[in-house]
Amino acid sequence: MNQALTDEGYIDYYAILGLGRDAKPGEVRKEYRRRMKDLVYEIGETEITEEKRAFYLLEMAKLNAAFYILGNANRREAYTSERDSLIALEQRWRTAVDEHSAEADALRREFDRRIRGFLSKYIEEAMLDAGRDRECVEASNWNEAHERHASRILRHYRQSLYQKVLERLPFVEVTPPNIDWSERTETVQSILSEMMRNA
Amino acid sequence: MLRNNAQHAGEKTVNPELTAKALAKAVCDGDIVNFRFLFSPFSPARRDSTERFETPKYAYLLPDTEMEHSDTFRAVLQIVRRGDIWAHVEQELEAKRPAQMPSELLLMLADNAVRSEKYTSAAQAYEVLRIRARMQEEFLNQGEIALDKGDIPRAVRAYLVAASLEYDYGAFPEPLPAVPNFQTRALMLHGDYPATPEESLPFQELPVFLRTGFTYLLLNPSLAAKLESRPIETRLDFFERLVHERDPRWGEFATRYQAACRLTQEFAERIQRALQNRAGGGDDDVLEDEIYAQLGENPMEIAAQLLGRSIPNGEWWQYLKEIAGEHPPGILFLSRQVIGEHETLLPRYRADSPLPIRLGLVEKRAE
Repeated sequence: MNQALTDEGYIDYYAILGLGRDAKPGEVRKEYRRRMKDLVYEIGETEITEEKRAFYLLEMAKLNAAFYILGNANRREAYTSERDSLIALEQRWRTAVDEHSAEADALRREFDRRIRGFLSKYIEEAMLDAGRDRECVEASNWNEAHERHASRILRHYRQSLYQKVLERLPFVEVTPPNIDWSERTETVQSILSEMMRNA
Repeated sequence: MLRNNAQHAGEKTVNPELTAKALAKAVCDGDIVNFRFLFSPFSPARRDSTERFETPKYAYLLPDTEMEHSDTFRAVLQIVRRGDIWAHVEQELEAKRPAQMPSELLLMLADNAVRSEKYTSAAQAYEVLRIRARMQEEFLNQGEIALDKGDIPRAVRAYLVAASLEYDYGAFPEPLPAVPNFQTRALMLHGDYPATPEESLPFQELPVFLRTGFTYLLLNPSLAAKLESRPIETRLDFFERLVHERDPRWGEFATRYQAACRLTQEFAERIQRALQNRAGGGDDDVLEDEIYAQLGENPMEIAAQLLGRSIPNGEWWQYLKEIAGEHPPGILFLSRQVIGEHETLLPRYRADSPLPIRLGLVEKRAE
């Protein structure tokens, strides 16, 4: 059960801009503009399919949100502290589960509530809010059409990150499964053979 | 009142044999809804619930005589009754908190759901066990192995199972198993009006057409991309089989398609005659007259022929959705076309493509 502390799944806007936590506001702006310019150029050079449209829309939304959050002192402080405390809460819960502590269930409920809130706030809400920010609109040409298309893509992205966190959490709804993958391969083969026989 | 009910319910006795049988039935059926319900606060399997297995409304949870005597059911029942699993079930049904389902039973349930082609149930069960994506890969790997061996039917089946275990993380408000939403996807494929016939979907170059078709029929671009490296003949065989798997009544559509082609051909010939008349100094209105003479009072005659029935006041997109619902692959061989003042659907295919003949959309030409 004990897994190394990881922050995978908690969106990291510092990493999105390739910056450290001590980055100055000027560096945030400079890096955002540079990356957005590169992205817009890349989009212009690419034949856009449905899949690529979704990919680029998300990339654009992530850069916008990174600048929107890290470029503002209050938002940056709130985001950083919420993210850190959530990672710490996950660790507390996992430790409580390992130690069969009575508070494990209460921690699970609190963690579940906060992780959902965090991801909604810093993915869907922040990315859509950023798309209305004057500077972001100027740099990315984000408009209402982007926003209309983005909601489903952002929801998908939020859930994908949630799944990444979920993957390493203790099992709650079901007992921890004991999966033997060679047995699974054989089962898949036998299911397919049965299906072919019955076809 | 609530307390009285609870006290009264506390006196209830649950026949453990019925609980075991109900669990075994849910596992055999691959039914995650019933399985979850048996662990819910309102489950008849709980002593503190007012619900009872003995009431007729819960008869559906219990196996019928035929099932009870089947080897599969008896084998599952034996596993449900196994010491460690049964102890866990009893403990969870007594606990005053959300129950933790036994993973061993859930895994069997998921496999049975795949066997019965209850893919949404299977996807949910695998998702709870956190092995859904890996199970998709397992099926896909078997598909690749079958393709290597030239076993197209098995490969198509494996790909279809893998595609059917997909989850839609973008669903609102919560993620759900992805479902084959052909009606919506068909509209998206035909969203742009083809400015020239060459731009229409059926006129795409064969490799492009196959990629579009695989993405549409397998509901997943990454699965379609996996097939790209296969030789064109393999892809054609795969496509042909996939069409029949996705639409078991494809033959009916193909027959109607042939009739629609004949209707379109007659129509084209009349237009051609009208054009010749006009070139020969005929009246400019002749072309319009010919169009309406052909279409009569029902401009959607060809679309109705394709669907097999007419839709009162139906537009092209309504016909398209209906065809996509009944014969999903059919919409890959259609194109939008404005005729006169109306937009309709026409059968279209590339004359140099082997697919229309292989799929029975056109009659084989005499050698």
